[in-house]
Amino acid sequence: MEKRTQAIFFLTCCLVMAAGVIYADLKKGYYSPAELGSVQQTAPIELMPDSNYQVSAYPVGALELAVGDGRQDVQIYCNTCHSPRYITMQPPLPAATWEAEVNKMNKAFGAGIPEENTKKIILYLQAHYSTENRKQ
Amino acid sequence: MNATERFLLRRDLLKILGKASGGIAVSRWLGPEVALAQEPTRGKAIEPFTGPGANPHWNSVGPYVAEPQKAPLLLLTDRPVQLETPRHYFRTAFTPNEAFYVRWHLEGIPNAVDLKSWKLQIEGNVNKPLALSLSELMQKFKPVSLAAANQCSGNSRSRLQPRVPGAQWGNGAMGNAMWTGVRLRELLDKAGAKSGSLQVQFQGLETGQGPEGLGSNLFLKSLDLGNPVLDECIVAYLMNGEPLPILNGFPVRLVVPGYFATYWTKCLTWIRVLNTPDENFWMKTAYRVPDTPRGNTTPEDVKAGTLRTVPIERFPVRSFVISPDGSSKIPAGMNVALRGIAFSGFGRVNRVEISDDDGKTWMPAKLGEDHGAYSFRTWELSWIAKSPGRYSMAVRATDEKNNTQPDEPVWNPGGYLWNRIERQEIVVGNAN
Repeated sequence: MEKRTQAIFFLTCCLVMAAGVIYADLKKGYYSPAELGSVQQTAPIELMPDSNYQVSAYPVGALELAVGDGRQDVQIYCNTCHSPRYITMQPPLPAATWEAEVNKMNKAFGAGIPEENTKKIILYLQAHYSTENRKQ
Repeated sequence: MNATERFLLRRDLLKILGKASGGIAVSRWLGPEVALAQEPTRGKAIEPFTGPGANPHWNSVGPYVAEPQKAPLLLLTDRPVQLETPRHYFRTAFTPNEAFYVRWHLEGIPNAVDLKSWKLQIEGNVNKPLALSLSELMQKFKPVSLAAANQCSGNSRSRLQPRVPGAQWGNGAMGNAMWTGVRLRELLDKAGAKSGSLQVQFQGLETGQGPEGLGSNLFLKSLDLGNPVLDECIVAYLMNGEPLPILNGFPVRLVVPGYFATYWTKCLTWIRVLNTPDENFWMKTAYRVPDTPRGNTTPEDVKAGTLRTVPIERFPVRSFVISPDGSSKIPAGMNVALRGIAFSGFGRVNRVEISDDDGKTWMPAKLGEDHGAYSFRTWELSWIAKSPGRYSMAVRATDEKNNTQPDEPVWNPGGYLWNRIERQEIVVGNAN
């Protein structure tokens, strides 16, 4: 009697496992490697019951500017007041517009970029971020 | 086999039994072909589209970023900080503080404000200069609340053709909040503008590294003392009943109902009465629009250099489809809710219409609660697509001054005042 029960239990288990395998196959999920959804959570900062209302530092991301002559000038001078994202965010702009933008930084905003470096920066932006040359 | 092993075996068997009975039930009901796994399209990040065409997406195309006191928002720039609100946050009339868009001009953004030393100063050409602590603002003046939409002058700039330089916003450089604070008029009256006063200038804690006197050093905005909007302005210390996130202007922010956000000075600290017109960069050069209908012009007219410009002021009427957002198919015959928002800087929106035949016929949408003349107003319309296909849903709003959204684009070199009728493509699939 005991043996028969065990056999039935064993057979039932086999059937169940087979069905489970078929089911698992039907419902199989597909996954692919991607860098989506990878925003890190911000850790909470310690708060004190005083009069100072503080937040953590604003995050700055690494960004690759196009490789070429003048890149270092952009990194030194433009980066003083704004991150290079200001450049990569722009749509492809006509060469004349890039020249006007850099001149605005010097004239309206007093960036004080030496003339030689100003020229190099304009040429760099025109070579990589203009309507004619921007890859995407 | 010891007791633990027996337990584990039984547990695994029970698990499989449970799954299998589910699987059998699914197969019996639907037939196995329904549940057949299909090789899905590989998920990938949005194309980092920059142009030269118009940005085809509702929002801008940057990655999500988590900034202090903020939910993950769409990054335009990290220094100074510019963040866009993702579309789905506009399902409700009020935009959550943690999702409210962010736009700074200069990289010197405060990370901390010490309320022991912080004072709101009312100074300049006044009889009695004032310096008020936050606690004085909260206790000595009657608090007033007002729902008002805040929209960046350059919202939707990435739609313009040809494209123009500037922050390449999609549609998410806007938000609506219940602002609570002190009436600006009360503060101005208490300080008393001297005769000969022309304008009132606003300065926050934002600073830049540029030389003194230039736009790269301070961000300054002014309004004429005779402008009736001053009577509606609030110096707000609450946003949706909570302190403002520092990126949105803690401890107080100027609220200028109906006006573009350029005047809504964040971390407002100096209110300065002027007896000469403000000619700083942010008034005289930036944030100006052609003095033409809709602020519309052409690159040729700009080149000719004859264009007369005026400071930007109120935002024109706009409306948006928020859901469905086009990311999923809708089965034919399903009665779905189309939802969205509408607002105008010229007064309350009193009509929103939807077209599913590209503007040939218009159906009136049901308007949501009226939170006030300058607030977002939600709208809803139940809609059934009878047959499968691609539908272009257009939405247009009309405000109480009878301004209606036009279907023509707008162009000016600053990329301001975009308010063309918006469209959302919806793909309807077969339901059987």
